[in-house]
Amino acid sequence: MESQTTVLTRVDGSADLVHGETRAIVSVSGPIEPKARQELPAAAALEVIVRADVGVADTREKLLENKLRSVLSQTILTTSYPRQLIQIVAQVLESGEDERYTCKEAASIINGSYLALIDAGVALQCSFAAESFAIAQDGEVITNPTPLDLRQSKSSHVVCYSIRDAKVDSLLFSDSIGSFTETQLYSVLARGTESVEAHHRHFRSTIEAKISKDFVWKLQ
Amino acid sequence: MDGRRWNELRRFQCRINTHPNSADGSSFVEQGNSKVVCIVEGPMEPPSRSQLSATEATLNISLNVTPFSSIDRKRRNKNERRIQEIITSLKRTFEQSIITDKYPRTTISITCHVLTLDGGLISAVTNSITLALIDAGIAMYDYISSVSAGFYDNTPLLDLNQLEENDLSYLTIGIVGKSEKLALLILENKIPLDKLEGVLAIAVAGGHRIRDMMDKEVRRHGELRLSKLANK
Amino acid sequence: MAKGIETSANEKAFIIDALTQGVRTDGRKLDEYRDVKISLGSQYGSVDVTMGETRVLCRISSEIVAPYEDRPFEGLFTVSTEISPMASPMFEQGRQSDDELLITRTVEKAVRRSNALDLESLCIIAGAKCWSIRADVHLLNYDGGFIDASCIAVMTALQHYKKQDITVSGEQVLVHDFSERSPVGLSILHVPICVTFAFFNPHGVEQNIKGDAKEIYVVDPNMQEELLKHGILTVTINKNREVCQVSKAGGLPMDALTLMECSHKAFTIAEKLTNDIKKLIEEDDLQRKGSQWKMLSASNDR
Repeated sequence: MESQTTVLTRVDGSADLVHGETRAIVSVSGPIEPKARQELPAAAALEVIVRADVGVADTREKLLENKLRSVLSQTILTTSYPRQLIQIVAQVLESGEDERYTCKEAASIINGSYLALIDAGVALQCSFAAESFAIAQDGEVITNPTPLDLRQSKSSHVVCYSIRDAKVDSLLFSDSIGSFTETQLYSVLARGTESVEAHHRHFRSTIEAKISKDFVWKLQ
Repeated sequence: MDGRRWNELRRFQCRINTHPNSADGSSFVEQGNSKVVCIVEGPMEPPSRSQLSATEATLNISLNVTPFSSIDRKRRNKNERRIQEIITSLKRTFEQSIITDKYPRTTISITCHVLTLDGGLISAVTNSITLALIDAGIAMYDYISSVSAGFYDNTPLLDLNQLEENDLSYLTIGIVGKSEKLALLILENKIPLDKLEGVLAIAVAGGHRIRDMMDKEVRRHGELRLSKLANK
Repeated sequence: MAKGIETSANEKAFIIDALTQGVRTDGRKLDEYRDVKISLGSQYGSVDVTMGETRVLCRISSEIVAPYEDRPFEGLFTVSTEISPMASPMFEQGRQSDDELLITRTVEKAVRRSNALDLESLCIIAGAKCWSIRADVHLLNYDGGFIDASCIAVMTALQHYKKQDITVSGEQVLVHDFSERSPVGLSILHVPICVTFAFFNPHGVEQNIKGDAKEIYVVDPNMQEELLKHGILTVTINKNREVCQVSKAGGLPMDALTLMECSHKAFTIAEKLTNDIKKLIEEDDLQRKGSQWKMLSASNDR
């Protein structure tokens, strides 16, 4: 996995994330002034936009938007920004999976928005990270599957955990498509904790690099 | 193609104040077989507060290309992107030529109906708007006269009809008064760079001729009005 | 432009005053084009163009569809440019402002109407099957010059793109995988390049119409210049000295002679850019061929 923050200049925070075959760029603007119909009296409104790499936005992107929103609405401290808007735009640059799957893209845009939110300085309840999995025909769990793995798989999964003190805390989001057994799901969830913690260590180093760059005048 | 010389305009006829009771300003322009009616209302209070600008007038243009205007009778969607683009271009053009800061907090609404279309859509519409604005008594810096010019086999051609427009590359210009200033310029097909100057030159000359004809009509109408007033 | 970043009256006066003295705020000369950085992606037809702060990404995709009934011998080509709030929060999602419409239309006209892509070569079986090529332009960061950057991105991506090879036997079309047969490029007839000029009128409108004061024009305006401009002109031109499209949608009236001057300047820029793109594509081709050779020889060794 490779990640980089502050790649765009016109938005408050942005991150470019390459994870296996998938590449996404996520931008965050906020808190900004909302339109009247978006405004919420006690919390910040979230505007989540997901854009496909190829073709026009359709139901698939709406589905991804919903998945991303369900994670973000739990993690962003929306009550600290009442009557304001946080705008999150995720642009998939390379999908890395067939059109009928969304798991790799979902994991990438969740991870990308985590970095972008931190880059934008938006208050979060907790850290979080996500990973995609596939279960092959023989029951083997594949972490971050390739497009070929996905095509031959029985089911695909996305799991997202919140993180506290560099350890997995609680399950924020899990999404599975296909046929699988309960024990298989549990093994996916168990495998998820490991890779999510690994991702989190990577994000930490990205953020440390960003901070040392941002505060280069202070550290010297 | 229709018996004209390369630098000849098509028959250009115009009338202003054609709908004296229904609008503040109106005009009817015939350029060859293209016929356009234009109606101007305003300056008036804007329908919604959001359109209001404290320093200048806002311009609203709508363009209706009637389905019976061309041979294929295709029903044109009002929101068709090409039409929308023309509207935006026209808006930007006339925003600069109307002295908009004379009419703060008002809207000027312009409606054009294309009755028959035989090439030169943008130019006929532009000319009709100029005339209707003059008829409405809205202060403008100068006339905007518009004409199209094409290019065929090393000779530039002035004022193309639909058939010619389909096959040749052409440009449409809008000129300010008698100057050589271009307020509007749209070219959509390929023209060799070195020939561009020649095509532009005849288009400018054609635009000036159209301006003179429009001016004549405005003066004729003015005199008519004046004589009516004197008789009273 | 839509509700954007407002420039204060002081700054506005400063920028325009500087322009009258021939100085631009980013240190360029009035007729200097920004450096264009083009990077090609790992996949065919994926191109990232950076001009100053402006960043545009273009992806080409293709599929086999039925052609339009009234044009059985031609393939399909669509360009989609949607601007999301990612480029700048002043763009709204879902709603197209007038400026966005003009950007989209100009890019489409420059690339599609000028027949840059040979549509007839996309035909597979007349009236039944043809290639549909789609160019998705993603505008990532906005700092003026979207039209120029998008056009460069689309044209580079089209030259870079390679589609699967096919064999036709009767009504059947066999699509070969990349590993089976080397993919084929698209047939590009010419490379149109857009050059945008922004016009400024340092004096009153009246003086300009009377012709006393000359307007100032700058090549390739950045965001601030684009927000302050009084008029804009986009010239699309190719290496063969053909003007493909000129659009000056209203705005400040300008001299016909200035237009000619602009077109000639545009030509010099377009010529240089076309050569740059060509060189880049050739280099990439060589590199890809090299790696393919290595792969082939590796499998031979086995």
